[in-house]
Amino acid sequence: MAGDAHAAIDAVWKRESARIVAGLTRMVRDVGLAEELAQDALVAALEQWPRDGVPGNPGAWLMTTAKRRAVDGMRRGERLERNHERLAHALRTAEETGPEADDDVLRLMFVSCHPVLSREARAALTLKLLGGLTTEEIARAFLTPEATVAQRILRAKRTLARERIPFEMPEAGERAERLRSVLDVVYLVFNEGYTATAGDDLIRADLCREALRLGRMLAALVPGEAEVHGLVALMELTASRAAARTGPSGEPVPLHEQNRGRWDLLLIRRGFTALLTARSLGAPPGPYVLQAAIAAVHAGARGADDTDWARIVALYERLERVLPTPVVRLNHAVSVARVAGPETALALTDTLDLGDYHLLPAVRADLLSRLGRHPEAAAEFTRAAALTRNAPERALLLRRAEASAAAVPSFAAAVESFLAGLDAPAARSYGRTLRRLARDLGDPPLTEVTPALAAAAFTAAWHGAAPRTWNRHHSALRTFSRTAPTGDLTAALPRRKVPPGHPEPLDRGTVEALLSLATAAPRERALWRIVYESAAPAAVALSLNVEDLDLAADRAVIAGGRELRWYPATTDLLRSLVGSRTSGPLFLAERRPAPARGATGLCPRTGRGRLSYERAELLFKRHTGHTLHRLREARRLHLGF
Amino acid sequence: MRFLMTNMGGGKEPDEQLFADMAAFVEELTKEGVLLATGGLGPASRLSSGDDGRITVTDGPFAEAKESVVGFALIDVRSRAEALELSERFVRIVGGGVTYMSEVFGPE
Repeated sequence: MAGDAHAAIDAVWKRESARIVAGLTRMVRDVGLAEELAQDALVAALEQWPRDGVPGNPGAWLMTTAKRRAVDGMRRGERLERNHERLAHALRTAEETGPEADDDVLRLMFVSCHPVLSREARAALTLKLLGGLTTEEIARAFLTPEATVAQRILRAKRTLARERIPFEMPEAGERAERLRSVLDVVYLVFNEGYTATAGDDLIRADLCREALRLGRMLAALVPGEAEVHGLVALMELTASRAAARTGPSGEPVPLHEQNRGRWDLLLIRRGFTALLTARSLGAPPGPYVLQAAIAAVHAGARGADDTDWARIVALYERLERVLPTPVVRLNHAVSVARVAGPETALALTDTLDLGDYHLLPAVRADLLSRLGRHPEAAAEFTRAAALTRNAPERALLLRRAEASAAAVPSFAAAVESFLAGLDAPAARSYGRTLRRLARDLGDPPLTEVTPALAAAAFTAAWHGAAPRTWNRHHSALRTFSRTAPTGDLTAALPRRKVPPGHPEPLDRGTVEALLSLATAAPRERALWRIVYESAAPAAVALSLNVEDLDLAADRAVIAGGRELRWYPATTDLLRSLVGSRTSGPLFLAERRPAPARGATGLCPRTGRGRLSYERAELLFKRHTGHTLHRLREARRLHLGF
Repeated sequence: MRFLMTNMGGGKEPDEQLFADMAAFVEELTKEGVLLATGGLGPASRLSSGDDGRITVTDGPFAEAKESVVGFALIDVRSRAEALELSERFVRIVGGGVTYMSEVFGPE
């Protein structure tokens, strides 16, 4: 049957063409001519094999035929412009196979991936010369018109001839860069197949298979290069997930939702083996080895939750150093989300610019939706859908955009958007109340929180709080919920009566400002700090004597064993206030008392008396407009009792 | 596409040439990334059979099992034609015998 014969010839051709073209190129030193000769032999096979059967060693048959035809052609003068005699001699005398054959294939790879060619041209030429694909097959795989691919290949061959690219191994100085170019082309082909950038099939398996074959072939040709094994490992491990990454209707399934039972263990094992080979070569890991190592962490985990995300984050950090591309930084952010949460990860994506790459908005959308920021998530999902050229992926993104648009924010997310609209001190104060409630409520959707539910959580959290504290939390919840779709959540919560005698405490901002008030004397500031920090009544602070101080421990112990504590900054102030005094009142009045008054408890060094409550209160009022009592109350409130 | 080639033996008596040719063949396929796994099999040593929920286990050796698999190769090829071509080359190298080729359906 002619069809079977053609299929057989095609199969032989794809297997043998790299060696044949490479061998012929070594002889004629021209990739274009070598490929023409090889094609001539293929035409001969198509004529003869269906009639005479496939020969025993088809590769050798093709090679011999190509050479004979070349010599015949030159005799007939068909290729006048070439140097007949030299070529004919080379073709007649050249060895057909031998140890050179492998090196020829490697040389051919270096040539077809030469940096003088565009990336597209490198990929097309490599598939043509080393994969034995027809122009039509390449066009279909890349979803490009056949004429375009044909032009691309033709121009590439002309460029190679014009630039006189030699059919040689690259010199030591440029070897690393040239090898990188070969690896990049192979990986480009793989990715084009795996993450098809366009079209209706998410995976074009034939491209992946070609890339895997090229990679495995390369690993056998240059076994001493760690990055080659790294690339093979990366492709084997990535390909192992191929079956699991599309759902029943062709839609993409994200890694953490994949059914790991459908991963291909054989490919995983091959990937691990290649990675071990790469590591055993001892070089510092390059980009492909690191990416393979990341893929290996995934492959070794039984589930998304068992994944060693911290190790993945660490590997991405190393990868960012050798390959600082926006895509790598994006993937880094995705792994950070697992370790440090979506908020940290989102911040990492804020500065990224990936142009029209749809994965950036897709990742941001996912993080936003995990943060419950649904309207923003919907916008990003829509943007990602508009950017992707892959149909099943676009459908999935649009579905998620719709779901986000319809989603009710969680209680916590609503709190965060509310706080974002406040100034910093208010946000801090309200945040303490509302975030605590969000946590205690278990962060339900906002609309599920009723006044009764809120009252229960509120009471559980603060039933023991002082009336003022209770009322402050109450106000925060009321202000937040009055404008929310829930309505006033304090409807079932009474405010508490504040017992008389407790003056309104100063708020934290005021206290912080006055404790560092530069216009106040050190004595005043030391007193205020002690009152605030120890929460002692001002009269007690004023009664302190120098001998009560235990400055090394930031405290004082007064008669009756009562202890007053403060912060180290206050101790510094006190040291300068005390100076060389060893006894007597700590806080001294400005003047000596008139001797007639016969005052007692004077300072033995200066003869001055103790600062009176009235005077201290007056000074505080003059500086701040408040009473000392309110300062002490502020401390009680800020400490929460 | 993956194919499992199972070789039932029965070729010519192996000599040094056969070993050399086979080693070269395996090396070539490995280099090309075609051969995923291969190995030789010892004689079947235990038979488990199930019938209507009852499982019978019989220990070997099995004298009647002339047609047992002696070797296998799992290959990853572009087409059925390529698999056919490879199995023909294999049979030529071992000089006869019986080799089955089956497509492997599974994760891919």
